[in-house]
Amino acid sequence: MTTSVQLAARHLTRHFSVRTPGRLFNAKRVVRAVDDISLDLVAGDVVAVVGESGSGKSVLARMLARIVTPTSGDLVLQGTPIAIKSKRTLDYASQVQLVLQDPFASMNPVHRMSHNLLRPLLIHGASKSDAPAMAEAALRRVSLEPPSRFLESYPHELSGGQLQRVSIARALCIQPKVLLADEPISMLDVSVRLGVLNLLRGLCDNERLAILYITHDIASARYIADSVIVMYAGQVVEQSRGTSLVDEPTHPYTQLLIASVPDPSDPTRDTPPTGERAQAAIADQGCRFSPRCPHVMDRCRVEEPPAFIVGEDHSSKCWLYADHETAVEVALPTRRKEGETATT
Amino acid sequence: MTTESLGVGDVVKSGSPMIRPTNLTSSRVVASTIPDEGAMGERILDVRDFSVDYGWGESAVRAVDGVDVHLDRSMVLGIAGESGSGKSTLVYAITRLLRAPGVITSGVARFNLGSSDDGERVIDLVTASERELRSLRWSSISIVLQSALSALNPVVRVGAQFEQVLRAHRRDMSKVQRRARAAELLGLVDLDEDRLDRYPHELSGGQRQRIMIALALALDPQLVIMDEPTTALDVVTQREIISELFELRSRFGFAMIFITHDLSLLTELADEIVVMYAGALVERATARELYEAPRHPYTLGLLDSFPPMHGERTELTGIPGSPPDLAHLPTGCSFHPRCPFAMARCAIETPPLIEIEGTRRSVACWLQVGDAGVSVPVELSRVSTSNASPAERVTEVSS
Repeated sequence: MTTSVQLAARHLTRHFSVRTPGRLFNAKRVVRAVDDISLDLVAGDVVAVVGESGSGKSVLARMLARIVTPTSGDLVLQGTPIAIKSKRTLDYASQVQLVLQDPFASMNPVHRMSHNLLRPLLIHGASKSDAPAMAEAALRRVSLEPPSRFLESYPHELSGGQLQRVSIARALCIQPKVLLADEPISMLDVSVRLGVLNLLRGLCDNERLAILYITHDIASARYIADSVIVMYAGQVVEQSRGTSLVDEPTHPYTQLLIASVPDPSDPTRDTPPTGERAQAAIADQGCRFSPRCPHVMDRCRVEEPPAFIVGEDHSSKCWLYADHETAVEVALPTRRKEGETATT
Repeated sequence: MTTESLGVGDVVKSGSPMIRPTNLTSSRVVASTIPDEGAMGERILDVRDFSVDYGWGESAVRAVDGVDVHLDRSMVLGIAGESGSGKSTLVYAITRLLRAPGVITSGVARFNLGSSDDGERVIDLVTASERELRSLRWSSISIVLQSALSALNPVVRVGAQFEQVLRAHRRDMSKVQRRARAAELLGLVDLDEDRLDRYPHELSGGQRQRIMIALALALDPQLVIMDEPTTALDVVTQREIISELFELRSRFGFAMIFITHDLSLLTELADEIVVMYAGALVERATARELYEAPRHPYTLGLLDSFPPMHGERTELTGIPGSPPDLAHLPTGCSFHPRCPFAMARCAIETPPLIEIEGTRRSVACWLQVGDAGVSVPVELSRVSTSNASPAERVTEVSS
């Protein structure tokens, strides 16, 4: 089967200008929230974006959902280029749906689930007679049985896990091809998180949905994803097909991220060095991670590194790999390239 | 510290079944050597049969149900549980910070203030007067809350918030000394002195949480309670704060109660862990024992809910169903509707928390209890066989 790219993003960039406090005449400063990110969302594939708060991962999701207008870049939906500066069309929304972090905040609390589910169906052109059956079918897809019971309930009557399933059902009821999930499990109880992750994986495998899974939890990314992207300060610092990035991290930030995850299976492990303090740790010039990087070199402070190929379908934006071939296309290569093995 | 009540031999067990936290003027003060309950020795906190309800009468919901926890000096007790399991309610009630409609309905919480010439000074936090509590809070027991942004006063500079604490508890300090102490405290958590002139909103989440920790340590407490201190932070900041915290603990030797839903974090940092489900303790064990050989199916499920960072990718099941509604708890063991090991008995009888013979761990599960009421250790196997049927996962330990 040929890989069918549902949604392709090229060089997506979003800058925000903010006022610097305390300066006369409102001196403006530019925050590069997302800087030159390219990725492909393929049917039947989960792409995980991992990053800390403030890394720009949510802005990326909102740009892909076309809620935030990119400063520059291109979007291609199923082969059709999208005019990024124009208003989002209904057709685009019917293909690309977003699920948000907080299920309690994303449901209207004064309406029953039936209202919350029927509204998107009616907006997207379902007839009034068909809509209830479609809503029930959507609830069944997310394993909420019996659907009639859930249609009748209000948001406060459901648990967080159930509500998140309803919001996934709401996104799915109009049969989109792409699902953008922005931290879908971080507000949920630990014991129900896996259920939602397994649901997303199942939708991807069984219904060939293209899923973007945004998280700060690299362990859950490893669990669910076909490819993983690590973001730092608005840029992709490392990406890999499969989970080689988690198993053999090459970028110092990814290494730090992984070393910071609690891992009770290794009681002898020392606390990792955490780099410099997080305050003002994003460099304006050179590599953005350089102020915190334990391997920082002179070059890092001046020149921004390109992405180097460090393994099969695995690239890392770090000068440590300067002797490796640079990745031509930043998006994950669909064709496997010959790459060298990483040396540290 | 008030001393006029010390030495009153009255053992404190409140006569009235309901002690309202807001109405304490009539409660008896309990500060005595409590001879008949044994000296506390190294024990700093001893909580017995502690129950908390929300609301009164018919509509009361039991949030904490007959919990026993204890903590030795300089140790770290981890309390794990999901939202609604009662873990925060428990510590708010113990520290008497619980607001109405929360009501402590039973229990004692004995806090050891340390030894002096006339023996140990032990106070029951449940019956302590507001005045005693005020002198105890911060200087002996301090608490770090989950959301530092809402715990810090948003319209007061950070320095002034230190100032308030020090002025209230250390009357002898001069203004210059207080400022110096505040700067010293910030230094402990690796922040520059200039942060004292900032407002909370000017600081990042990690910096705010560091300030909360510095504030908690301002008066050198014996017990620091951490209520999900790192939940709102990303993993790198979490790691930084945790390692700082443990450095400080080894320097100052305070005991810690650490509350979190992240069991994998707890197994790394706690000495002993108690797991709560629907307001009750279901398991108590040392961190390693709990991780390596969980005995309660809920603990097993929680541990299996964290995708591993190493090894083969296998499908994990987590725990089916969702946490129970405390107002409509299932009969018998409250975990039985979600439990893969549930037996007929579980739906009828509530299992007691019993100590497993020959160990220091306890568990509340019928699997671990033989017919004669003697505990029969049963091991539940971990992740590797998570697809095995429940029967295959239970092996009796021949001891």
